[in-house]
Amino acid sequence: MIHVEHLRKTFTTRTGRFLSAGRRTHEAVRDVSFHIPRGEIVGYLGPNGAGKSTTVKILTGLLVPDSGAVTVGGLTPWQDRRRHVARLGAVFGQRTTLWWDLPVIESLRLLRHVYRIPHATWQANLTTFTDLLDLGPFLHTPARALSLGQRMRADLAAALLHDPELLFLDEPTVGLDVVAKERIRDFIAHINREREVTVLLTTHDLGDVERLARRVLIIDHGQLLFDGDLARLQAAYGSQRELHVDFDGPVAQPEVPGLTLLSHEPGRATYAFTGAAADPIARVTAHAPVRDLTVREPDIEATIRRIYEGDLLRAGIR
Amino acid sequence: MTTTPAPPTGGHVSRRSRLALPWAVARLGFQRQFAYPQAALWGLITNSFFGLLRVAVLLALFGTRPQVAGYTPQDAITYTGLTQAFIMAFSLFGWFDFMRVIHRGEVASDLLRPASLLGFWAAQDAGRAVGQLVLRGLPMLLIFQVIWGLNWPPGPLAWAQVVLSVLLAWACGFLFRFLVNCAAFWSPDAVGFGRFAWAVLGLGCGFLMPLAFFPEWFRALLAWTPFPGMLNTTVELWVGVTSGAAAWAALGTQLGWTLALLLLCRVTLRAGLRRLEVAGG
Amino acid sequence: MADFRHHLTLYLRLLGAQIRSQGAHRTSFILDALGSLLITAAEFAALALVLPRFGGLGGWTLSEICLLYGLAELAFVLMDILFGGFDAPNLSAHVRTGSFSTFLLRPAPLTLQVFASDFALRRLPRVLLAAAIAGYGLTHAPLAAVPETAALLTAAVLGMICFFGGLFVIGGTLTFWTVDSVEAMNVLTYGGRTLISYPMDIYSAWLRRTFTYLIPAAFLSYLPALHLLGRPLPDGLPSWAALIGPLAGPLVLAGAFAFWRVGVRHYQGTGT
Repeated sequence: MIHVEHLRKTFTTRTGRFLSAGRRTHEAVRDVSFHIPRGEIVGYLGPNGAGKSTTVKILTGLLVPDSGAVTVGGLTPWQDRRRHVARLGAVFGQRTTLWWDLPVIESLRLLRHVYRIPHATWQANLTTFTDLLDLGPFLHTPARALSLGQRMRADLAAALLHDPELLFLDEPTVGLDVVAKERIRDFIAHINREREVTVLLTTHDLGDVERLARRVLIIDHGQLLFDGDLARLQAAYGSQRELHVDFDGPVAQPEVPGLTLLSHEPGRATYAFTGAAADPIARVTAHAPVRDLTVREPDIEATIRRIYEGDLLRAGIR
Repeated sequence: MTTTPAPPTGGHVSRRSRLALPWAVARLGFQRQFAYPQAALWGLITNSFFGLLRVAVLLALFGTRPQVAGYTPQDAITYTGLTQAFIMAFSLFGWFDFMRVIHRGEVASDLLRPASLLGFWAAQDAGRAVGQLVLRGLPMLLIFQVIWGLNWPPGPLAWAQVVLSVLLAWACGFLFRFLVNCAAFWSPDAVGFGRFAWAVLGLGCGFLMPLAFFPEWFRALLAWTPFPGMLNTTVELWVGVTSGAAAWAALGTQLGWTLALLLLCRVTLRAGLRRLEVAGG
Repeated sequence: MADFRHHLTLYLRLLGAQIRSQGAHRTSFILDALGSLLITAAEFAALALVLPRFGGLGGWTLSEICLLYGLAELAFVLMDILFGGFDAPNLSAHVRTGSFSTFLLRPAPLTLQVFASDFALRRLPRVLLAAAIAGYGLTHAPLAAVPETAALLTAAVLGMICFFGGLFVIGGTLTFWTVDSVEAMNVLTYGGRTLISYPMDIYSAWLRRTFTYLIPAAFLSYLPALHLLGRPLPDGLPSWAALIGPLAGPLVLAGAFAFWRVGVRHYQGTGT
């Protein structure tokens, strides 16, 4: 579905004003390659300014790269804009594509004409989405009067009315409560399963990724750091476990041979270790009297943070 | 400058510290005008171009006449230069700042300041006006002086009257603008009402044409409004169309309207704030 | 052909959506309409009220000025309604808020969507006022009996719509590079409108020639008006210059859209 080869994009920004103006270049994306087969949900992760939105803009045809080859369903996005965008849907969490002052249903009707959707298809999709996303209560409410969750549901419906093969989602659950998040994740999983819609999901919410994506791409400083299974990411980078110890009173020497001390305060310490917990626990209990201890599993958030922070080798395990 | 004293806040406030806040606010308002020098430059070019067109129209109206309604062609050029110079300082094309603050509900935080709301805004606008006068007004007059030559007030007395009149025109205009902005307390659509008011202001203050050129009946009508005092009076004092005892009378009228508008503003503001409290805005 | 029909109906549907959106804020719509009407009315009233004292403007009577002023205002307001989406403040707002990206993500022509994005119906009362002023001029000015009057007037209005529309498109396109240019374009658009609202012989020669030969504004309405009033054209221009003058508008518009395409490509290269 999506083929990206050696993608590069550099931005030039002017600095200063008037005559003192200089130029600074910023490599937003450098030599990024990946392939996404039809029907997959891929989480695209990275800190702000890492190159995520540049990649998405190129894939949607909004931006022309400096070099590299991109095909989406056989088309080069920026060369045949109208044919390309007719086959994709996009939801950007921060902004709506609905007509602000019009009832939701009117926006959906307008989109039927914009995308030239056959009436029967449109009607069938509308019925399905109204049911799945529970649009009924606010179909006749102007977009400006919707809650964030309602707006997001309406936007999702709007992005899918024309049966796109590919869906771009940018922070689809940002600012929503747990229940609303779950409803949207369920819906995305559903349309991916039932309609084989390929989904590229950019998000800061790892809950989205853990729930929806089997595969993640991680980008930072314009470079792809990781491309693979979520499980493999955990196994490869997430193996640091933590041991939290409450000693039986203050300890003069918190350092324990063979363990990495992460932090300590009087009577308390946290160590990092890899592998089984039996040996570290034995070492700590031999070191000083212990009242309580806990082993904490690494979470994906911490894992990814470590990748961003450059603790781990750049090359990754492509 | 209409720096209204701060309301009594319990302790004894010295005069010096009472003026410190408005002064700081005015300085801030002044400095803020210099943030976008490039926009100011383009604005100056636009104002100059329109000045050029307006001069051409006025000179074509004069034809070969040496004087009409007390104005010589040179006076008419000076009139154009002055009106173009004061566009920004007097916000002749409209001003919606206070309206925006009301609509966003930020007026509540303004009320927390230990100073009168009207005084605070007056100080801010005074600073803004001086900034715009320096940035856009004086360069505009310089351009007119270089291209066509301006008539200048003849002596110290005339200068004093002009300076006084500029201050009163600003005060009068500010209070009118503030009053119009107060409409936002009552209606979310006050912006449309404001546009209305600025259109009337443009015609009534003599920005579009010197009021002396209008028919008698129209001038008589305008004499019952505060609008001439917001620009036209200043121009007539500058070019000397109004002088002697009439000059003092004109200044008196400006002062009268300023006081009347001040009173009206305070009453309206109080009513508006009460409405805000009732509505729980 | 089917494509053209689809695009036309799509344009009308999008306009309908615009108009219904504006109807959602009725009071503000009415006040805005009256306010913008009053601005034109005040500007014209100021001139009309002082004319009797002077007897005319550089040899032009009130009714002759009404013809020039009314035509220029009529065309400008119609243009403002049609091309509002390209007006620099509106377009840069679309770019800033991301709705321009939304246009690019829809499988409809970009220009069609921009055309349909800001349709300021609140300017309609100004159209009526301008038509009334022009109508007064037409019925009261001493028009020469030329058979091509109706055609020439229509061409003049269309030409001006194209010309100022072109300036709007250029101004909007410039915001892909910088928003500082907005004020600069205002000199040409609003300044140009004001300039051709009055008989151009009142301006100094360099100004008149600049807006005749460098920026072909004089060809739009001034030369046709001179022709209709039976007056000679300036600079010894042949009388057919008045007849083909309005073509200057479409030429400017065509150039503007060529520039627009360059601008959109630049936008897609930098993604401002």
